[in-house]
Amino acid sequence: MKKYFVTILALFLVTFTWVRCAKNLPVDSDGLLITTRAQCYVSNFELLGADFQTVRTAAAVIDTTAQTINAVVMYGTDLKNLYPQFSLVSDAKLDPKITGKVDFSDLANPKKWTVVAGNRIVKKTYTVYITVQPKP
Amino acid sequence: MQRKYLSLISVMLVLTFLYSCQDKEYSVPLGKTGLNNDCIKRTLGPNIVGSNIEFAYAMALPATEGKITSAQVTASIAGATGTYLENRSFYTNSSGVDVPITVGSPSVTTDVKTMVTFTKDTCAATLRYFYTIPEAARGKTVTFTFSATATNGQTVTYQMGPYPIVKMDMKLDLVATDNKLMYLSIADLALYDAPTAAASPTKIDLVYLYRNIAGITFTHALVSPAASPDYLPGVTLPTGLTNSTKMSKTWALNDQNLARLQYGVYIDDVDFTAVDFTNAPNYVINLKAQAGAWIETADGKYRAYIYVNAVNNTAPSMTISIKRYTMK
Repeated sequence: MKKYFVTILALFLVTFTWVRCAKNLPVDSDGLLITTRAQCYVSNFELLGADFQTVRTAAAVIDTTAQTINAVVMYGTDLKNLYPQFSLVSDAKLDPKITGKVDFSDLANPKKWTVVAGNRIVKKTYTVYITVQPKP
Repeated sequence: MQRKYLSLISVMLVLTFLYSCQDKEYSVPLGKTGLNNDCIKRTLGPNIVGSNIEFAYAMALPATEGKITSAQVTASIAGATGTYLENRSFYTNSSGVDVPITVGSPSVTTDVKTMVTFTKDTCAATLRYFYTIPEAARGKTVTFTFSATATNGQTVTYQMGPYPIVKMDMKLDLVATDNKLMYLSIADLALYDAPTAAASPTKIDLVYLYRNIAGITFTHALVSPAASPDYLPGVTLPTGLTNSTKMSKTWALNDQNLARLQYGVYIDDVDFTAVDFTNAPNYVINLKAQAGAWIETADGKYRAYIYVNAVNNTAPSMTISIKRYTMK
């Protein structure tokens, strides 16, 4: 009986030590997994109006080398109340976070967002240029 | 010892199974005796002044015990004109159609009480009650007491409510026409032509226009008189129109009361107070059917939701329905 007890206790201790010594997976301040992925780019960009419908006249042009996004929006678009949506490469995140409406009305000072790669080391800042469809 | 216990457990298990598998004797359930009643509210969504709250009131007693003599409803606030209790009982036939059978004389409403006296020898009926919400009930709650009496001397009652009556107003199917009935007053919930708008310019909150401009999508628009002239192309505003109405465009917010489509979505009083008009523009263009706009009048007195029921590009016009909430 004593032999069984000692064996079980030993097994338990080994398991406990093994679990405790397992390396914790790294997470960032947002609780997101930090991976080895170094890719860092925007794959798609959408711009929605207050009615959550697109205000683009065509697909946004994303230049991953120049790190720019150019979007032409419809005539009459209310630039103060837009919801931008970024699609990023896997594991990447956006800084600052988009939490609601964004005011794009200051066209002279375009908005900037930084894409942070999965490894949280590579960072690229994208500038979003908005052009309003001209009045004919 | 161990074997003894095992035998005992086996016997107990067998007994349990035997008992569980026994058939229970079935007996036809007995119906309730005496006069009974029940009631359901048939209408959904906010209770708006001028519209109906509909109930179905059911009452019955065994045929051997007597027949129903009368049914009545007492509302805590007297209903407006149009309030009545059906004198017909409905049943649904095999095709799903509600078929009426007259069971009593037309209802008589006296102040808060609406009554039907039965003229048919009937021991079971379901009567519908339509309460037209009066102005006096706005912002209050209303309760209903349904009751029925039978020849055996019994009386039953059923309480319904309280139901809150919303503060908002509603106006359905206003037709705005380009260059004619194009001036919208939220205070009046009406559309005016230019001469009428000029007579009371402070009441005009929005201008309707339709423009088919090559190269851009303008089409149907609601624009504040104070908006940039860029959004009022070809419009000469009557003198004195200066209101700047804040607007927030929506899509597919198909309020059931306004749209009368298949969607079970209702805009209630609280929704008006929750809208954020910070940095809101004073125009919306490119409106289509099922689009809409939350608006706040320049003086902040009213907030409203304008729903676009239909648009016509051939004879430029737009059918709109409005829910309006008084803020102050």
